[in-house]
Amino acid sequence: MIESNYEREFTAIAKEYEKSGGNVSDFLRKDIVSIIVSGNKVIGRNTVDGVHVRAKELDNGVEIWIDIDDGTIIENPIHLCTGYLKPEGTQEILIHNHLGDRAKVKFISHCVFPSGVNFTHSMVADTDVGKDSEMLYEDTHMHSKDGGVTVKATYNTIVREGGSFQNHFYLTKTRVGKLFVKMSVILEKHASAHIESKVYEREDDYLEIDEELYLNGEGSSGIARTTVFATDRSRAKIINKAYGNAPFSRGHIECNEIIKGDSVEVGTVPELYVTNEKAELTHEASIGRVNVKQMETLMSKGLSEEEATDMIVRGMLR
Amino acid sequence: MPGNVDVINRTYDSVDVNGGLFMLEVKEIKLVREERKILNSLTASFEKGRVYAILGNNGVGKSTLSYVLMGLESHKDYEGNVYLDGEEIDLLSVPERAKKGISLGWQEPVRFEGLTVREYLTLGGKLKLSVEELDETLSTVGLNRDYLDRFVDESLSGGERKRVELASIILVNPRVTILDEPDSGIDIMSMEMIEHVLERLRDKGSIVIIITHREEIARMADEAYLLCGGRILASGEPEEIVSFYRKLCDSCQHINEPVKEGGLAND
Repeated sequence: MIESNYEREFTAIAKEYEKSGGNVSDFLRKDIVSIIVSGNKVIGRNTVDGVHVRAKELDNGVEIWIDIDDGTIIENPIHLCTGYLKPEGTQEILIHNHLGDRAKVKFISHCVFPSGVNFTHSMVADTDVGKDSEMLYEDTHMHSKDGGVTVKATYNTIVREGGSFQNHFYLTKTRVGKLFVKMSVILEKHASAHIESKVYEREDDYLEIDEELYLNGEGSSGIARTTVFATDRSRAKIINKAYGNAPFSRGHIECNEIIKGDSVEVGTVPELYVTNEKAELTHEASIGRVNVKQMETLMSKGLSEEEATDMIVRGMLR
Repeated sequence: MPGNVDVINRTYDSVDVNGGLFMLEVKEIKLVREERKILNSLTASFEKGRVYAILGNNGVGKSTLSYVLMGLESHKDYEGNVYLDGEEIDLLSVPERAKKGISLGWQEPVRFEGLTVREYLTLGGKLKLSVEELDETLSTVGLNRDYLDRFVDESLSGGERKRVELASIILVNPRVTILDEPDSGIDIMSMEMIEHVLERLRDKGSIVIIITHREEIARMADEAYLLCGGRILASGEPEEIVSFYRKLCDSCQHINEPVKEGGLAND
């Protein structure tokens, strides 16, 4: 529910939230868990049985705890929306997610910074996924048009025995500004994870992504994948790492960077480390133009080169 | 796709589609790869509303011919000329040729991560299609509307992607349709489906050029060319050419000729 003092602020954030693909009416439903943060204020909040939400306002941000009881299955996604409407400043968001055993939940998170000229957003999400639980976390960012937003997003996750975790980060519809993403997942016995980042860079955007999988439990498995479309004078450094520390653990890391323009600077470093002879790790990396055959296929149906590129990239970054 | 979109014109107003004798001609096409003549002075012509089979074994230059006709960047270094209604189109790019009405149905359709069948068939919304048109076309290729929301990725089998590719060709309504091995990846029970695809294209007045090594497919054509060593060895009624193919091609090694010293110009 929206705090009465913040209705105008909510309206402004909601407008940006909808642009990023969110459904604002979900925030007003009593059967949906939601948290709306603007600056260092929690301006809206709702929860349901089995989900416990606490929040503390900090000097320049908010700390949030979300605890989900054992065996809780949430039908509707938990909505998190973080906004900052002023052009300058900093915002710090600390999130502690604890998913009990045998629980199942999906988070939809939107971060909207539509006016940022000299604005920094730091977010650290510590997540504990209980035994045999399933969690999906989708994080979509919308930044300002002038590239004045810096985001440092860190996700530290541990997935307990038999648990499953997916973390998807998207920044594809607006300028990036400067973006630093770090995703780290520790996997216990028979746990699995799929972490993925998709970013579309324009002008002089800058990006660093560091994805790490620690396959510590027997039979654990994970995929870490990054897709970047870099245009104009943008730069990107991508590091994907996997550590095969347990027998029958399997990991795959993948980075695909599609470039357009002569002034782009991108790099990718796959790192695989194995400490157990029964672990199996693979990697795949590519840097280059949009796939020629895909281009020709669409162009042979009547699309121009620009239109074909746009269609292919939007599909890949979806 | 969001934003302003131009609608793709499927009537190709630069040429009168309904009247006149629309023709595609290739004259003296030569293409060399690794010192072998993949296409060797190939000359042929194709008329509106007729289906042609280019028959030949693997490696004789069939797919290369389709890429030359489509104007793929990797195959633009050919010698000779391609004419569409008497206009030389050799310098035209793939999109420019497509805008003139040439389209290619690929032998092995590529996957598109994140694109649905609907987006692929409508070219991201640029091709304005009625529900009836989509339904009818999907039905022609043995699919149904449930496929529209599926992704054109590894979740579709090779055969399903091939059917989607054939549907997309029908929907862009080409004046010149090149079908590279239209049966590849499709079970033998679906030959009737390919016949229906050809009927639809023929009825719309398209020149249809089928690249094939299958006799059953060649028999669906109105006319056939037998290709060997980058040359047209024979042309005529499909049955006659199929019989020729059996006699001549079993013993033939189909080796493309090496380029003689001095290059193609002195051949």
